[in-house]
Amino acid sequence: MNAIRRFFQQAFLYYKEQYIHFSFGEILGFKMFLPVFILLYYCMAARYGFNAPPLTRWVIGNSFLLCTYQCLFSLGYTFSSERYGGRLRTLIVAPRHKLVIAAEKSFFMIFEGLVTSAFGLLCGSLIFGISFAGVNMLLFVTVLLSGMIAAMGFGLFLSAFGLISDSLPFVLNVVYAAMLILCGANFPIGDLPAPARILSYMLPLTRSIEGANMLFGSVDTGRFLSLVAQELGVGAIYAVLGYVTLKICEKVAIKRAAFEMF
Amino acid sequence: MNLRVLASTMAVQMKNSFARPGIRMCLLIAPVANTILLYYMFQHSGRADFGMYVVLGAGLTSLWETIIFSSMGDINRERWNGTLCLLFGMPTPYPLILLGKIIGNTVMAFAALVLSYAAAYILFGITLTVNSAWLLIAALLLSGVSFVVVSQFTAYALTLSRKIVIYMNCLNFPIFLLCGFAFPIETLPSWALPLSYALPPTWAVRMLRMCFAPAIDLALYGQYALILLGELALFGLMARLLYRAVDTQVRVHATLEVF
Repeated sequence: MNAIRRFFQQAFLYYKEQYIHFSFGEILGFKMFLPVFILLYYCMAARYGFNAPPLTRWVIGNSFLLCTYQCLFSLGYTFSSERYGGRLRTLIVAPRHKLVIAAEKSFFMIFEGLVTSAFGLLCGSLIFGISFAGVNMLLFVTVLLSGMIAAMGFGLFLSAFGLISDSLPFVLNVVYAAMLILCGANFPIGDLPAPARILSYMLPLTRSIEGANMLFGSVDTGRFLSLVAQELGVGAIYAVLGYVTLKICEKVAIKRAAFEMF
Repeated sequence: MNLRVLASTMAVQMKNSFARPGIRMCLLIAPVANTILLYYMFQHSGRADFGMYVVLGAGLTSLWETIIFSSMGDINRERWNGTLCLLFGMPTPYPLILLGKIIGNTVMAFAALVLSYAAAYILFGITLTVNSAWLLIAALLLSGVSFVVVSQFTAYALTLSRKIVIYMNCLNFPIFLLCGFAFPIETLPSWALPLSYALPPTWAVRMLRMCFAPAIDLALYGQYALILLGELALFGLMARLLYRAVDTQVRVHATLEVF
């Protein structure tokens, strides 16, 4: 019981730490309205590039991608941010499992990511006149959650490298740029060359975006469930990889003893 | 003396900026990634000039990102390192040092445009034809000046802020949208157009696009250049007034090192 209370206490403190010197308006602007501008940019580019098509798939795809700011960047920076704060050495010798630290740091981010994606979707739908009539909302929330879980697993996997490298911001930005191209949010995956298509299906969100798009047209239940299951599978694989990588990187980091080097 | 300070600040700034992984991302990876993304988004447009939109869109977004993340981020870094107050208090004027930093970033950031074109050519065989090299050079110079002036204005505005990280992120996508870096601003809703017209980079982008059109309307090019110069003068004046206000605030409150 004490451990659970401590988990939530720590999770709340980590979350509070990020926003303590910002006003509510600034947080709202940064976390809600900036993502809407990002969504608008890609949707307007699609309107120009695809000659004014119905923008449903771009609004869905890009609102799904909005959660990567929390799932990928916030979780990815778990250890990297501690390096800048000079606390990585303390964390590494602490008896607490590093996976628990990552979970504590990302716990509230999951909800924030969900809210950001939902807000982006709402604004995108209102601006571009996308109707949710006939869309099964339960299935929609399921596919959104499955995408977020997969992205969290991926974020956990990448966060481990923060223990051994000071270049994680670079890595995370490259990964985000790759996701913009490969996840099918901005153009059909079929347009990509075959090797790139393989990469697409190795990334989180590709399947959940495809599943969410399906909900706005004719739903093939078997295919839909398969996409959700595959997406959760991708998340699970990355989570296991993250666990193993975390262990390896922890050992390497202790051996190198270069936590405060840049 | 002033020119020497400006040149040495630029040189140090470019070295420091390029040493940071974040800027290497903006400068080397983002132009290529943006080129690939925009190519796949625009290839079905059926427009003969879509290649120009791909190259300029990818290049200009990466260029602005590099300038804004480096110029704004540097004020934040100087504050963290405790050197912002030294920069402010030294005999060399703070605006001159800031200008050196921003020009250094802008010169470096133009590599993003070259890389976008190289990526478009190598990956997709896109070639651009320039109808007048001199007009292109003039447009590039004016683009550079417009980015410097807007960056300097925002840098003054944020000198007092301890929350630069948030604001510099917020200056990215709204500017991409309003200045029409990747697509014409006419695709924006009509109420947003006055905002677009008020920003100097909008006119610079229009001038750049004209240089790659099959034929150039010299009168229109000149008109855009005049509007751009007028706006630059206005932004320059506003930046000067803003700096006076910031300078007073800095000396009265003395909180440049406070977090």
